[in-house]
Amino acid sequence: MRKVKDKPLIYLFMALLALFFLAPFTWLILSSVDPKADIRFRIPSSITLNHYAKVLTGRTFTWIVNSSIISLASATLATLLSVLASYSLTRYKFKGREALVDFFVILRLMPVMVVVLPIMIIFARIGILDTLFSVILLETALELPFSVMIGSSYFETIPTDFEEAAMIDGCNRFLAFLRVTLPLSLPGLVTIWLLAFVTAWGDFLVPLFLLRTPDKFPVSVGIYMVFGEHGTVNYGLLSALSIIYSIPVLVVFLLMRKYLTKGIAGLAIR
Amino acid sequence: MKLRSSYLGIILLLPALAVMLAFVVFPTIWGVVMSMTNASLVGIGAAHPRFIGLNNYISLLRDSRFYHSLSVTVIFTVFSALIGQVALGLALALLMRRKDIKGKSVIATAVFISWVIPEVVAGYMWGSYASREGLLNLIIKALRLDRLGIEPTNWLFYKPLETITIANVWRGTAFSMILFSAALESIPNFLYEASSLDGASSWDRFRYITLPLLAPAILTDLILITIWTFSVFTMPFIMTGGGPGTRSELWTIYIYRQALLPPYEIGYAAAAATLMFLFTLVLIVAYITVLKRGWG
Repeated sequence: MRKVKDKPLIYLFMALLALFFLAPFTWLILSSVDPKADIRFRIPSSITLNHYAKVLTGRTFTWIVNSSIISLASATLATLLSVLASYSLTRYKFKGREALVDFFVILRLMPVMVVVLPIMIIFARIGILDTLFSVILLETALELPFSVMIGSSYFETIPTDFEEAAMIDGCNRFLAFLRVTLPLSLPGLVTIWLLAFVTAWGDFLVPLFLLRTPDKFPVSVGIYMVFGEHGTVNYGLLSALSIIYSIPVLVVFLLMRKYLTKGIAGLAIR
Repeated sequence: MKLRSSYLGIILLLPALAVMLAFVVFPTIWGVVMSMTNASLVGIGAAHPRFIGLNNYISLLRDSRFYHSLSVTVIFTVFSALIGQVALGLALALLMRRKDIKGKSVIATAVFISWVIPEVVAGYMWGSYASREGLLNLIIKALRLDRLGIEPTNWLFYKPLETITIANVWRGTAFSMILFSAALESIPNFLYEASSLDGASSWDRFRYITLPLLAPAILTDLILITIWTFSVFTMPFIMTGGGPGTRSELWTIYIYRQALLPPYEIGYAAAAATLMFLFTLVLIVAYITVLKRGWG
């Protein structure tokens, strides 16, 4: 291949990219350790970890607990339900199976805004509006289509031979599933659970519509509420909270980066 | 054990299906019903909503604010997704293929992290970044961008739509980058080698090999990010709340404000949401069709 002398240009382009993508993070990190943090950009004259310590007390800690409850519960529910559904989709043949898969794609791509407004009214009628329970239910329902899609693609990679062998040895179908298929699909289950967890953990729209009491807010709605309290905002605390809040998501996504890349690649090459 | 027809299969499906039907499908249909009533959060419409037929839709079609939110959404989608994310994603994917360039992984990781951190956090940090005394203005001064006509300003107040559009490019480019990287991987190398022997320039190679073979991936990407960008709510909402006034009021923010701010017209907001549902449904069906038929 003919060599083109474009390296300096490419490095200039990369410097601009680095600036564009990294610069917005700077203030978040600096203000979280700045005792006199402000909405303005400034280099801290001294460094403190007080904001981080304060995050783990008072209402910010309550929000972290709420986010944890919502995410743990909905991820677990979504995993349980999707394991059953994906096992069924990959091991049984029935009418409408194809249509069902399309149906999951539609649900997965449907804007949450379409669902959240009527469900607010429905939940108000049955008296569960403004409860963590209502948020858990809706988050679970919204995670399910994706969870089932991951689960199905995972079960498809596990040969049915093992189950058959176990059944010949006297296991019934349930035991064969429990002792053979389930342990083999453990990495798939962990994937489903983790992705469902971070989906609920980062969500803002559902709790914004379904919760009214600040004590029940997850971190996302809490940050929004405090950010809106003009004049009195403790930006140092809010930035430290934002960073602590982002850590679980970052850990999960950086761990699963390869997996996600493969999943997206599946969309490109068919 | 071969695939077989069984009631057990359906029973195993039922719990998941029931949850999705109850909390996603039923509410969507309920929303269509609500859109034909004068339901509201307070007052008479709250206790006893009345059926008013298509009146909400007729009012919507006469509501200049609704049209305004549509045009804001179209501008936001065309510039941030169709132009920004596709172009930048493609440039990044091509960059990642260059073996003689160092420091690529730093860029890729930064792009990836921008995409995965919680949306509220992204909106919060952009709220400072684009403010009058934020880092963005310091960069503009340092790089002397005023010579290009870019002056420091309170971006969220004076250029709200431009700012949320650029912020959304920052937020969403990772998806296109990853998708295009995968598609580029699948182009066999011998095509490039053969064209080099024939004396093709690097632009020729891009124009006559890369671009045509990338077309299916670009189409997939376009449909998906259009669906997603049309329903973006959180990050712009945190940054500008749709304001000042209605200047950055996306479709989703319009629906939120109609429903949850006075005069709390839920039925009216449901009509706007139903139109959004129908529009998205068309795109999703297009997506499924394209996936199944292949690329023709």
